[in-house]
This record gives sequence, structure tokens and C-alpha cells, in this order.
Amino acid sequence: MQISFKVPIFEVKNLNFEVGGLKILSNISMEIFEGEYIAIIGPNGGGKTTLVRVLLGLEKPSSGTTKIFGKKYENFKEWHKIGYVPQRASLVDTNFPATVEDIVSMGRVAKRKLLSRSSKEDKNAVEDAMKKMDVLALKDKMVGTLSGGQRQRVMIARALASNPKILILDEPNTGVDVVSQQRFYALLSKLNKEEKITIVFITHDIGVIVDDIQRLFTINEKATICNNPKEAMSCEDMSALYGTQAHLIHNHKHEH
Amino acid sequence: MFEMFEYEFMQRAFIAGLFIATLASISGTFIVLKRYSLMSETLAHSALVGVAVGLVAGYNPLWMAVLVALMSAWLIEYLRSSFSLYSDAILSIILSGSLAIAVIIVSLGGAFNNSLFSYLFGSILSVSNEDVMTIVLFGTLSLAFLLLFAKELYFIAYDEEVAKTSGIKVKFLNFLLVSVVAIIIALSIRVVGSLLIGALMVIPTVAALQYRVGFKSTLLISLFFALFSVSFGMSLSFYFSLPSGATIVLCVITLFVLSLVINKR
Repeated sequence: MQISFKVPIFEVKNLNFEVGGLKILSNISMEIFEGEYIAIIGPNGGGKTTLVRVLLGLEKPSSGTTKIFGKKYENFKEWHKIGYVPQRASLVDTNFPATVEDIVSMGRVAKRKLLSRSSKEDKNAVEDAMKKMDVLALKDKMVGTLSGGQRQRVMIARALASNPKILILDEPNTGVDVVSQQRFYALLSKLNKEEKITIVFITHDIGVIVDDIQRLFTINEKATICNNPKEAMSCEDMSALYGTQAHLIHNHKHEH
Repeated sequence: MFEMFEYEFMQRAFIAGLFIATLASISGTFIVLKRYSLMSETLAHSALVGVAVGLVAGYNPLWMAVLVALMSAWLIEYLRSSFSLYSDAILSIILSGSLAIAVIIVSLGGAFNNSLFSYLFGSILSVSNEDVMTIVLFGTLSLAFLLLFAKELYFIAYDEEVAKTSGIKVKFLNFLLVSVVAIIIALSIRVVGSLLIGALMVIPTVAALQYRVGFKSTLLISLFFALFSVSFGMSLSFYFSLPSGATIVLCVITLFVLSLVINKR
């Protein structure tokens, strides 16, 4: 499935991450290629978020090498290629003075040149991202007044506005109802298939998206990479990973 | 009504005041959204150390205030990023520490007089031509920075980490923002006074936030409230011989209370 001569988006070799002598990540090696849809699962405190923060350059590894689009992090400048939606995405400060359009426009800020006003290209990209995430009709609404599901889509529209090659989502489902979640998974799958956007998704709802993803990373200090998630995911694996009785719920309905 | 403009000192006070209202409200919007409100109070007290040194040693107090406020802003950013200390505790320590140093300097230097009093509470009578020049010079530079980087600063205020992962130079812009705020506060103490400038930075934005509108509108409402409070406050101060800083602050607080009542949910 992977084309080995392609430069991976992320390349991690023998990554270790420690805080105050406590090992969070141990000897992790992995590559993430363009066009993939990868889910990351693992118990809370297992290091999923830390791994993503290292990939995003927010944390420096204790040892090991990490590359982004084939470059060392200190030499990488094209951050607009990366779209990041953090865990707290749907929990917005309701007092923050921002319309949906204000938030989505932030996705263009890093791309613009100094002294330049928003170009037509910026406006189109913002509108396009709002359309893709189905929030165009809400563009003048204050984000504080939106539902959890709507906010979640706005945050992804912000990430999409910079035309990223990859979307990294860290459990952005807090406070989102089940119906909105289903719609959200369908949108992610569409982005991956139609827009060819690579997706890295930290989630607990692995059963629901197991049909969409191509690879599954389980992180619990160490990483286990599974290239055939549908067959390999079993309740035994989940129990071993989470240390409790786990139930895998498959969702075969994806006609949204 | 406009007879006050026949006096040169009132013309100077208005130029300085309106400039400061613009700077304080625009920079204040970012400060409030970043939850740095207490920083304005701390820097205002640090600026007093500069004033004290200026008064005692015979340098221009306004220039000294800018210098010390800048050093204090950098110290705060350094402590915040290099030590695991609570940032509001750092602000508190520097606030009282600065005030203590300022009081010691002026009492040792024998400058505990009306001159210091005017820096504590602001005095439109005391705004000199040189002050206006200093305010216009540094103020224009600060305003240029704020307008140039408004979108970046807004993004950082919204979510610092996401801004960082989008390639925005967060550390550098945070450093520049606190520097600009330090300069604006130091410039403002002539008109509003160091004990009251925090109010002019924070309250117009908090009042504007009550209207629950987008970023640009919030910025404009905040600017309007600050300009109105400063002009109305200074006029009241002229006609009723009231202290300018305190009158301005009461005007802006009135606008805040009105905004709160109008927008009560």
C-alpha cells in the first residue's frame, strides 16, 4: 500500500520522550505518507497526545530523530501544509469575540505576506473551507452560540483554509452529540478520499471508523503499527492495550 | 463648549489623550483576550520606577518610564517562560516590588511632591510639548506594530498552540506585544496616571465584549468607548476642575455598566 520512494510527511526514528525521568514514549519509529488515513488509539496517559505534539514540533524529543516533509524541524517553514485541530476544539471560550468567518480566516494568517491585506485567494479559500465543512450558512454567527458539533466543523474549516496536505485531529469530539459525530466521521472520510488529505486522528471510537482507516497506531509508551486494522483489531488486542475488558463496536453504516 | 481649546495646554492634552485612548484600547483588546489584564497594572507600577529615577536624577521622566516599563515587561516574559511560576503571582510580585522601589527612590531623593502626584493620577495641565512629541513618536510606532500584526495577535490570543503549529512566530510576537504595551502604558501615565491606566486598557474592551460581536466590531467599539471617555472625561475635568485620570476612568466605567445592562441576557 505504501510507496516507499515517496518522501513521508512524518518520519520518526527511535523516538524517546521523557519528562522528569518518566518515560512517556519509548523507542517509537514510524512513517506517515501522503494520502493515508491513520487512527491513533491508546489509553489515557499512554502518550498519544505527546506523540502528536512531537510531530507538530510543539515538543522536542529526548532522543531520536524526527523529520517533517523530509526536513529537520528547525528548517521546516511550510507550516500551512499542516492542519491541527486540538482536543479542546469544540470547547470554545464563549466570550471570545469571533464569528465563524473570523475563526476560519485565521487559517490564512500564516500564509499571508506582511503588509498585505486579505487577497481574493484568501477569501475564496476561507469560503471553500466553510463550504466543505458545511458551515457557510453560519459565517456571521458568533462561535460561542454554536452547538458542539458545529464548532467542531468550524475548527476543521479553519485548519482546511490553509489548504493543508495533512489534518491532525486530537480527539476533537468532546461535547459533541452522536449524530454530529457520525456526520463528522463521514466528512473526514470524504476529505481523505476526495480531497486526498492525509488524516491522523486520535480517537477512542475506533470501531466506528475502522472501515475508513488504512492503518492503526496503538500507543501505550511503545507503538504498535497495524496495517490491516479491520482484521487485526480484536477485543483481545483492545483489552491488552487498555488493560480492561473492551468491546469493539463496528459500524457498517456509512451512508450519511 | 469649545472654549477649552483656546488654551494651549488643553490642545496638548487632547492630542496626547486621544492618541493614548487609541493605543490603550487597541492594545488592550489583545491583552484582555490573552488574559494578561493584570499585566497593564504591573507595567504601570514599573513605569513609576522610571518616573522616580527621572525626577530624582533629572532625566526626562517619560523616557525613563518607557525604559523601565520595557525592562519590566521583558523580565516578566523571561520569568514566565523560564521558571515554573504562576504568571499572576509573578505580576503581583513585580507590581509591589516596583512600587516599593519607586517610593524608596523618591523619598531618598526628596522628590515626594506634586510632580510625582501628577504621574500617579495623571494631570492634563502638566502635559508638555515634549511629552506630546514623545507620545506621538512612540505611539505611532506602537500603533503601526499593532495594526500590522493584528491578525497574528488575534490568532495567538485565540489559541497560542494552534497559531504556533500554523507557523506564526508566537514567542517573538508575544515579546513584541508586551514591549509595545509597556511603551503605551509608560506614555499614558502623563494623562491618565499610573494608578488608573490599567482601567483605560482593560475596561473599553470588556465593555465591547458585552455586545458579542466579531473581532473587528469589538475592536471598533472598544476604540470608540476609549476615545469618548477620554474626550468627555477631559472636558469634565476642565470645566469642573476634576482630576483628569480619575474622571476618564469613571466615564469608561459608566460605559461598561451601561453595556452590561443593555446586553443583559
